[in-house]
Amino acid sequence: MTTDAAAPSSAPTTPAPRAARRRSGSTVGGRPLWLMSPTLLLLTLVIVIPFLIAVVISFLDLDQYSLRSWTSAPFIGFDNYVEAFKASGLLHSVWISVAFSVLTTLVCAPLGFLAALALNTRFKGRFLVRSAFLIPYVLPSFVTATVWRFILRPDGVFNDLLAKFGIEGGQWLIGDKAFWALVLVDIWAAWPFVYMMSIAGVQSIPDELYEAADMDGVIWTQKIRYVVIPQIRNQLALGLLLSTLAHFNNFTLPYVLFGTPAPTPALTLQVNIYQTSFQTFRFGLGSAMSVIALILMLIPAVYYLRASKLTAAPGED
Amino acid sequence: MTELSEVLPAVLPPAKRSKRRDPQRLLPRWLQVLVIVLLLLSLAPVVYMLLISVMPDLDAAAGKIWPSEWVLSNYVKVWSTVDLARGLMNSLIASVSAGLIATVFGLGAAYCLTRFSFRGRKPFLSSLVGLQSIPGVMIILPIFVLFSSLGATLGIPLVGTRPALIVTYLTFAIPFATWLLVTNLRQIPVAFEEAAMIDGLTRFGALRKIIFPLMVPGMVITLVFSMLVGWNDVLFASVLTKPATATVAIQLQTFASTTEGGSLPLYGQLMSASLISAAPVVILYMIFQRQLIGGLTAGGEKG
Repeated sequence: MTTDAAAPSSAPTTPAPRAARRRSGSTVGGRPLWLMSPTLLLLTLVIVIPFLIAVVISFLDLDQYSLRSWTSAPFIGFDNYVEAFKASGLLHSVWISVAFSVLTTLVCAPLGFLAALALNTRFKGRFLVRSAFLIPYVLPSFVTATVWRFILRPDGVFNDLLAKFGIEGGQWLIGDKAFWALVLVDIWAAWPFVYMMSIAGVQSIPDELYEAADMDGVIWTQKIRYVVIPQIRNQLALGLLLSTLAHFNNFTLPYVLFGTPAPTPALTLQVNIYQTSFQTFRFGLGSAMSVIALILMLIPAVYYLRASKLTAAPGED
Repeated sequence: MTELSEVLPAVLPPAKRSKRRDPQRLLPRWLQVLVIVLLLLSLAPVVYMLLISVMPDLDAAAGKIWPSEWVLSNYVKVWSTVDLARGLMNSLIASVSAGLIATVFGLGAAYCLTRFSFRGRKPFLSSLVGLQSIPGVMIILPIFVLFSSLGATLGIPLVGTRPALIVTYLTFAIPFATWLLVTNLRQIPVAFEEAAMIDGLTRFGALRKIIFPLMVPGMVITLVFSMLVGWNDVLFASVLTKPATATVAIQLQTFASTTEGGSLPLYGQLMSASLISAAPVVILYMIFQRQLIGGLTAGGEKG
């Protein structure tokens, strides 16, 4: 074995010779690929089969009465899909979810990035600040939502605070302002994700780059613009895509914050599908809606998978 | 700081001066202080939660911020108001079982994915990430239908049981755990086991004696992180549990909606219950915060 085999994930070799080396090297101990089969079997059982069944159900008129023997529920073709578009509020929810996830990501990005920049120097108590910054993110969503539900009550402390500035808060958890309440709480909980993605990137920038910039006498905005951002751009972009997906998929926060039924202005796609399926028991319609949701999700997901290949070092997966 | 070095150029040797300027400083001091102070202020809801949990219910209902008297009774009473011990136990059993199963099963797959090249390897790697972005509602719906009809056919209720919940947790725990283990295994040089096999160990001897000991920290992290995802779940548990098997997340949510309707809402107890159910998660994340950040970025780089 050559010594460069010692670093399989960082050595910039092309895939072909590496594959060849692997094959010759692994003849020593065989290739026990069957080690994968338990995982594959389990994944098939818990994800692939339910997924296929969901697609089948989306063509059935399945409700709580036909639930016991779902296979004999009447086949109704694309009726569920038609209803999903026409009468389920699906498009409204798609719009709410997209607006919500894009808006929160747009606000979280500069917040998290600034936080990472601010914590890049050593100072007393930095460890404490770093840990504190993680708290909103690591707090379970159901706890975050419970606390904010309490804070945002009509006579809650948030409205007390607004009143000090002469603003009347009113209802945050029902009605039109519910959407903004959801955005506010989600930003509060999610900005540390961007911070974590950024700080890891910023800290991997070698000192020499900064020192060179300092010698050129650049001001801090130029340093960020020309040294930091180009170095962490890919990572930041992926972080933002991941967080957009996470916001889009966030079920717990709106569900616990508003309870069910959720206020229409804040009826996100996930909660809408949940209510259709488990409150009105229209399983067929719910399935059709989730198939549509999945297709919508595939758009950023495919983009993400493509983008992530760009950042991998040559020869890596 | 800069003024001082300008005034006293002769006093300070040049080396010392350059040392005093931190090349890692990216923001001017005023902005740095502003950002840190504002973001720390934004943590007020956490402090508020702590304060509410130690004030009498009357204070909390009146919208006070500072307790008129400090009480710890909320932390005592909440255990009998809600069967919190049972909820915590249910959460623990479901999330640890799912995490354990996922870690054990994920190990075999992760080993093959990092050590051999075979057809379908790359699609499998990307699907590990793709599977994690499937909306949970889409998975829980068919599983619920399957469990209900199967339970009706067999005559044994499946919905509401712990095993049913654990199975659904596996849907996200397996891809997640396998992925974390792949990133971990990539950092262990192939040369270690190859050297061992050349010295006469079998593949499984090398796995057991060389790889396994090196993987223990990675497996612990994988177990902890996949467990935490289960602990935080509300969606699956809200569909698949009954009061006896309800996780602490569901108990908290039920408690919140019932206490709000009461004449004297038990906000103090609600907040102490929130803190009790959040504490294990926050503590574990704080212990493993380095790995948390490392894991995220590894995922970000590799997709």
